[in-house]
Amino acid sequence: MANNKQATRSTTRTMQQAALLIVLYIVLIFAIPVGNRILARHHFSLWEYRTVLFAISLPALVTWLVAFAGYAKLREYAASVKKTPEGKHFDKLATGSAWLAWSLAVTAIMNLAFGGLVSHSPGFYKPAVIISNYVNLAFSLLAFGIIGNASRGLINRAKLGLSLGSVRSIIVIFLVAGVSYCYLTFRNFDLSSLGSAHNPYFLPVWLMVVSVMIPYLYAWFAGLLAAYEIHIYSKHINGVLYRQALRLLAVGLIIIIVSAVALQYTYSLHPRIEHLVLGYRLVLSSTFRIIGAVGFILLGVGAFRLKKIEEV
Amino acid sequence: MANGKGASLYEQVTRVTHVYLGPAAGRFISRQVESHLHKPPEQLSHKDLRELIDWIRVAVSLLTDDSEIIEEYTTELKKLAKDEPTGNNSKKH
Repeated sequence: MANNKQATRSTTRTMQQAALLIVLYIVLIFAIPVGNRILARHHFSLWEYRTVLFAISLPALVTWLVAFAGYAKLREYAASVKKTPEGKHFDKLATGSAWLAWSLAVTAIMNLAFGGLVSHSPGFYKPAVIISNYVNLAFSLLAFGIIGNASRGLINRAKLGLSLGSVRSIIVIFLVAGVSYCYLTFRNFDLSSLGSAHNPYFLPVWLMVVSVMIPYLYAWFAGLLAAYEIHIYSKHINGVLYRQALRLLAVGLIIIIVSAVALQYTYSLHPRIEHLVLGYRLVLSSTFRIIGAVGFILLGVGAFRLKKIEEV
Repeated sequence: MANGKGASLYEQVTRVTHVYLGPAAGRFISRQVESHLHKPPEQLSHKDLRELIDWIRVAVSLLTDDSEIIEEYTTELKKLAKDEPTGNNSKKH
């Protein structure tokens, strides 16, 4: 019962953190300076600009709330099974999901704050893009690395393995995604000089390849492999009722991973520090965010059902 | 899979439960025995089985609305009650 109280306290704290981040973001929307050049480009007054920015941020803010609630529920379940052999793996899954949820909020707040700084000092634009790109990458490596360890642990514990056919399918999917990412990124480069930083990333080609593209591809591969391993685990584990609940959790996690990869993929192709991004990028990022939110809801419902099995 | 001969009643009940609750089966049965029958799971005997099955039915009803699964599960447990040994000892020697 002490465990239950601790878990409830932890969930309350998590939701308070989400609320705090949302308030911080809204305050930034209405407080950061906006340059006249940006207002002129969008044909908005300052108040109209801020209102539109707030309106298009609403899906993202709801996603943060859902994401924090989802990982908090998973954390509660992990706490309820922490003394069991699979407990530590579920705890890692919760930690990885937490990093993904935090990455949504932190990167958005950082980009908004950087946008304000850039309005004030345009010279900060290049460092802002570079920092933002690396922060996104760090979250991705950390989250997918931890989730990958957890899924491997669960697979090993259940003595399951990947079949040759599934390994081949993963390799083909990854090759297609990886090669198209490299192709789309290299289109933005001046390939006549490896040292040229005249590109949207403000990094020389060699540095971009070594420190951004390869780590991103590694993180995405780890994430997609983890998604597949979690699917295999939930498919083969014993227990009709346990499996039903675990399937929800697994499907949620798979959706979260795929949507996070898609969001990072979209962002890393054209990193920009702007307050208001309209057009296809807004549609794409909003779609992936909403899909991610659905994933976090399924994750939370699955974790809730699994926890109930440990309580009745 | 072992047929259950030689296993304690608690182990047999857990084995049946494993089909429905997977890795949570052992914990689930321990909890039901400890909280409703007020005894350590290892001391579960055949005379406790009917009451335990009733509690399990209530608990599983909270996890699923699928009456077929609940019925199938309790029927499997009732089969263990039919294997009741002549003595009070739950272990088969």
